[in-house]
Order: sequence, then C-alpha cells, then structure tokens
Amino acid sequence: MTVTITGSMVLQVVISGLLAGALYSMVALGLALIFGVMRVINIAHGTIMMLGAYATFWWFQLLGVNPYLSLLASMPLMFLLGLLLQQTLVTRVVDAPELSSLLLTFGISIALVNLAQLAFTSDLRSVEFLTGAFLLGPIALSKARLISFAFAVAITLLAFWFIQKTKLGKAIRATSQSSEVAMICGINVHRIRLYAFGIASALAGAGGSLVAVIFAIQPEMGQVYTFKSFLVIVLGGAGNYPGALVGGMLLGLVEQLSSLFLTTQLSEAVAYVLLVLVLLLRPTGLLGGRAK
Amino acid sequence: MRRALFAALVAGLGLLALYPMVATGYGIRFMLQLFMWVALAQSWNLISGLTGYVSFGHVAFFGTGAYAAAILITAHGWHWVPASFTGGIAGVVLALIIGYPCLRLKGPYFTIAMLGLNEVMRVLVSYFEGLTGGGLGISLPILYASVEIYYGMGLAAVIVTVVTYLIITSRFGLRLMTIREDEIAAEAMGIDTSRYKLYAFLLSAFIPGVVGGLHARDQGYIEPLSVFPLLTTITMIVMALFGGKGTVWGPVLGAVLLFVFQELVWAQFLYLHQILFGAIIVFVVLLMPRGILGVLQQRYHLPRTI
Amino acid sequence: MMENFILEVREVTKRFGGVIAVDRCSIELAPGKIYGLIGPNGSGKTTLFNCITGLEPRDDGEIRYKGACIDGLKPHQVARRGIGRTFQIIRVFPELTALENLLVATWQPLDVVHRRALELLQLVTLERLQNEYAGNLSYGQQRLLEFARVLMTDPELILLDEPAAGVNRTLLNELLQAIRNLCAQGKTIFIVEHDMKVIMDLSEKIFVLDHGEKIAEGPPGAIQTNEQVMEAYFGR
Repeated sequence: MTVTITGSMVLQVVISGLLAGALYSMVALGLALIFGVMRVINIAHGTIMMLGAYATFWWFQLLGVNPYLSLLASMPLMFLLGLLLQQTLVTRVVDAPELSSLLLTFGISIALVNLAQLAFTSDLRSVEFLTGAFLLGPIALSKARLISFAFAVAITLLAFWFIQKTKLGKAIRATSQSSEVAMICGINVHRIRLYAFGIASALAGAGGSLVAVIFAIQPEMGQVYTFKSFLVIVLGGAGNYPGALVGGMLLGLVEQLSSLFLTTQLSEAVAYVLLVLVLLLRPTGLLGGRAK
Repeated sequence: MRRALFAALVAGLGLLALYPMVATGYGIRFMLQLFMWVALAQSWNLISGLTGYVSFGHVAFFGTGAYAAAILITAHGWHWVPASFTGGIAGVVLALIIGYPCLRLKGPYFTIAMLGLNEVMRVLVSYFEGLTGGGLGISLPILYASVEIYYGMGLAAVIVTVVTYLIITSRFGLRLMTIREDEIAAEAMGIDTSRYKLYAFLLSAFIPGVVGGLHARDQGYIEPLSVFPLLTTITMIVMALFGGKGTVWGPVLGAVLLFVFQELVWAQFLYLHQILFGAIIVFVVLLMPRGILGVLQQRYHLPRTI
Repeated sequence: MMENFILEVREVTKRFGGVIAVDRCSIELAPGKIYGLIGPNGSGKTTLFNCITGLEPRDDGEIRYKGACIDGLKPHQVARRGIGRTFQIIRVFPELTALENLLVATWQPLDVVHRRALELLQLVTLERLQNEYAGNLSYGQQRLLEFARVLMTDPELILLDEPAAGVNRTLLNELLQAIRNLCAQGKTIFIVEHDMKVIMDLSEKIFVLDHGEKIAEGPPGAIQTNEQVMEAYFGR
C-alpha cells in the first residue's frame, strides 16, 4: 500500500507524539522515583494510574466535577494510597532481592485490578467532557489531548522543580544516589521512600485522570502504561530523572512516527522491541544513568 | 530410609501411571494440568532457583513451543508427539538467541528484558499472520487425546524433576549455585559464569516448549494472549517459591498445593480467585520467601535434594 | 638485568569518571617471593588487584603474567592461567557448605578434589565444620575458608586482599606460617594488608600506593623510614 507522506502528516504525527509523550514522561517520572530511590520495580504503577482514572470518572459521572478539577482530588488520594502501600507492604521488600519486589507489586496489582473489576465491571467507561479539535491549518489538535498535555507538562515541571529545588527533593536525589550515604548524612531514608512512593502514585493518578478524558478506561488499562514507563526509565537511565522526561517524549515521538510507516500491529511492538534493544545495547540508558 | 523413600516414589509414579484407567475425564484433565504446572515451575527453578537469574518472561518459551507445535500440526500435518518435541527445540533456539545478550545484564535489567521479550514474542506472533493466524490464533483439528497427553505432561514433569535432581547433586549444579551466591567470587575461582548461565538457561527453556506444544494439542486452539500471558510466568514463579526454590521437590510441592487451591476456588469465583491469588503472592513474598522446603532445609539442615 | 618476572604491571591507569583510582602504576614481581602492597585507605590497592585479575578493565597500560599479556581477559580466564585472589570483603558462598565452597574450584576428578579439599580444610583448621553452611561460620572462619579456597586451584601467583583482618592471633600465626610455606613451594604472594607488623614481617619487598600512584618501593626497613610514606599515612 503506497501512501504519499506529506509534510503536514509528519507534523501532525510529531505533534501527536509530543502530546502523548508528555503524559508518558509524567507517569514514568513516578516509576523512575520508585526505582531510583528504592530499586523497586513497581508493576502496580499502571494499576494506580487506572484507579486515578476511575476516580476522575466517578467524580464526573456522579457529581459532575470537571475532570481537570478532579486532579485536585485524585492526586492527593493516590498519594495517600501510595503512602499506605509503601508503609504496609513495599517497605518490607526494599532490601530484598528484586524478585520479591516484583512479585509483591504484581500481587498488589492483580488484587487491585480484580477489585476494580468487581466494583466497576470491565465495561468501557469514558469521560465525555471535551470533544472536537482545534484546527491549525492542516493540523487537527484534539482539544482533550491538548489540555491534558498542558496539565501534564505543568504537573511534571512542578514535580521536577520539587525534586531539583526543595530540601525534600534534594534528599530524594541523595537517597537515589546512595541510600547508605544518605543515612549517614542524617536523612530519614524510610521517610524519603514513603514520600517517593506517594509522589509517584500521585503522578500515576494524575496520568490516569488526564487519560480518562482522552481514551476509554477499563480495569486492565494500566498494564501497558507500566510497560511503557519501564521503557522510558530504561531509555533515560535509572536514577536519571531528567532522563525520564526526555525518554517519555522520545517514546511518544517514536510511537507516533512508527504508526506512520508501519502497520498498527508493528507499531505496538515498537515499544517492546525498543525496550529489549536498549537494554541489550546500552543498559545504562541512552542518556546514561547508573549501571547498577 | 532412603530405600523406603525411593520405593514410595516408584510406587507413587506407578499409581499415577495407572490412574487413567479408573479416572473420570475431569480427573484426567485435572492431573494433566497439574503435571504441566509442575513441569513449568521446575523449569523456572532450573534457571532462577539455581543461578539466581530471575527469568520473568519464561512463558515466552511456553508460547513459542505452543505455536511451533500448532503450526507443524496444522500446516504440515505432523503428529503431536514430534510436534511437541520440536516445540521444545523451538524454546531452546529462542533461549539461545536471547540468552547470550540478556544474561550479561544484571539484576533488574535482566528481569525487565525478559518481561519485554515476552511481549515482543506475543506481538511478533500476532504480526506474522500468514504463519500464525495473527490475533485469531490457530485452531487444531479435533482430536481426543487427553489420556495420551496426560502421559506426555507427566513424562515432562518427571524428566525435568529428574534432571533437576541430577544437576543439584552434581558439581555442575554447585557451580550454578555459586553464580547465585556470588558471581564475582565464582569468576575468581575460574568458573566461566557466562557459559554456565547459558547452559542453565537453555536447559530451562526446553520443557516449557514441549509442554507448550502439548498444551496446544490439548486445548485445540491457541492465540497470542492465551499462551503468552504474564500471569503464567508469575504463577510458575509463585509455585516454585512457595514450595521452595533451589530444591528438588519445592516446585512440585508448590505446584500441587497452589493448583489444588486454584481449582477449588476458581471454579466458583473468578475475580475473587484472582484477588486471593494476589494476596497469596503478597503473603508468600513477605512471609515465606524461602518457601516451605527452603525453611525446613535451613532449620533442620536437610540436604538440598529434598 | 634480565629477570623473569612473574607479574609485570606497566603504567597501568584506571579511572572512574573523574577519579583516578590507579595512576600510571608500574610493579614487577619476581617469582617465589612475598610482596606487600600498602597505602592509606582509598589509595587504589584493591582496584589494582581488580585490574590484574580482570575484574575491572584498565584504561591504560599493560599487564603481563609470565611474559604473556593478560589485558582484556575475563576474570575466570585469568584465574585459569594461575592467578588466585581473595577479596577485601569476604566472598564465600554462604548457602554452600564449607566443603562445597572448595569443591567448585577445580576440574579434576571428584575424588582427587575431595581429598585435596579436606587437606586444605585441615590446614586452616576448619575440618570439623566441613558440612556447615559457609554463611553460618564466624567472620574469621570465613576468612580462613576463603584462603583455603584460593589454594584449591593451585595458583602460582596469589593475591591476598587483607587476609589477616578479623582473624584471631593464634590462627593468624598459623596463617602466616602457611603463607611462608607457600612461598617456600615456589609460589609468589602479593599481599594487601593494613596490619603493619604482619606486612613488615612477611614481605621481602613492599610497594606503597597513595592516591593511585606508586610512591615508594623497597625492603621493609627502607619503607619504614621513608618520608613520603609517612607523609601519606600521617598527613601533610
């Protein structure tokens, strides 16, 4: 099938890529925090995103709350959930072999997903809030995606500012470098881990809320985002927070561009193939992180 | 004492061999699946229990074997016995291709790579529609072979357990375990850890491939989602962990206990079952990561061959 | 003077990011002697051992063992050539028994290996603990086990990284005697130690590292009175 690819098609795709990329960056930043601070691979990350999405859905459905406004509720809610999970469960496997944290977070994930299926059924739900698109010449920008993009960027920048500039953020970065040294410097590492998981969950929840406006949601929606977040932190390098941002944008771009040149099935594979390739060729990430 | 145990073992195997003569259809299918899980859990144990390299995508070999066998049966008219065996070979070939680069990765990176690999396989299988029927899967010609497959799965379970026993009692097994204990020290002892890891990996990929092929024949229909699910990998891992990884009988024990539990609860409540399974996973990981036999082994200084 | 050195380290440099761990270090070891390697903490001693054994690739320079270049060899290949080493942080195999820790090390028939393993366990007085998990042994016992383990492969050059740390005095004397016996058998020993008395007693020649650089080499007497060495240890 030969299709002429015009400049405006490419531009459209690039912009779509950036719009999607911002969401990936935000959610992946959360996973990066958990992996950076605790070396825990949180398979339940996408599940928490799903819960955030449902929170937004129900607020909209039952109370008519503006989904973007519901961020003010879903983010703190997920933050608290994150604190709870960390305090009761995850903290016990932080210093254990990776298998323990992998299985633990998987167990949490499967329990939560099925609870959601029991509670919400697996019917597709959607938040019909913003429809239509802005037209800029030949480019169509879906309103929902654009506004979600704006929020994602704002939240990510906020989170980033927090990590770089505040005292707590510096403590987080110090612990990411070396938890032993951080402890010697008087940092309460246990508390830092709590905050890291909480903030990460808030970011995931925000991602869910923003995605709920764009796509239909169902209890198993989180898994693919977890994988993509893995890919982002592998691309950016473990413990490399700016790397996660760049990695997210990169993933968004690559995905959209490949949908232009490849069939939809193959473009789905692109993310996974990229993951395996980067791991094999440059495990420290395209931008270099710590090798271990 | 050992003679008595051995005799009991032989008697038990004898009983299992005779079981199909008196069993119901349901009973045979139950045991057949149990054997399959024993084989899977034990295979995972070969690489991850012994070398400590956690294969989080092990179901990729199962799925590859399933598709290889299914294609040979449907497109080339093979009988399911050689087809399943070839499924095992397919698993080993896959392990060879990805093993060498992946095993160089450390800890979490190896795990993520194996996770990613499984997804890559699933998507690749969906893509090559001409060969694999894509998302629609492959339907095998109807054949009632439950009893034969019962023996096939049983044989697979027995073989992999015997192989595990032989390895654990050999110096080859000891060297694999040094990789788990301290890879740097193992290298300093002159052990070529890359080669040993690869051997263990290849060995651990064969039986899942065979069992995948048998499963395809048994089910009569396979599709990408049914043979590459992450849940299968997790289940075999939890079974091996629960019973005790790094031991011979641990995966067997774990598979039996968890499979029986699944059958009892699953039939009634699907979602509840999954939630309970998630809770079990959390329980096992937090409270008994060494597994039943692992704890007993440490406490009573039992040999590894339990 | 044409001497056949068993180990030649020529201008070896190893960097970690911006830090130079080993700085153009050159060392020559003649066979059948005991050598010491000392220096303040962080002076690069263990890193140098790591470069020699192939655990860390060196950035510059050359390493020759018995005349042949061994750069770029993997650690297990270096070990097979005849270089054995122990580690600063103990690296026994905790879930293997003491005996099994030794059995993994060689490729001769099991009965030969078994006998040798028992002999070595006797040597370090751990014979009665042979079926105990190595992880359950005391710190000092683990050090001795590591020492026995390195001898299983019958290496010609043995690198010992702080072999005396944590070993009680009585056992220490036996350990030192064992080291001297090894030397008498023609083996070359290169020891990193902080216990000055041990090093000065044992070594025929001592190399001193500071910040990755070799700042002195010579017999114990000369090192003890060397001003640079004292500065390195006691500050400027």
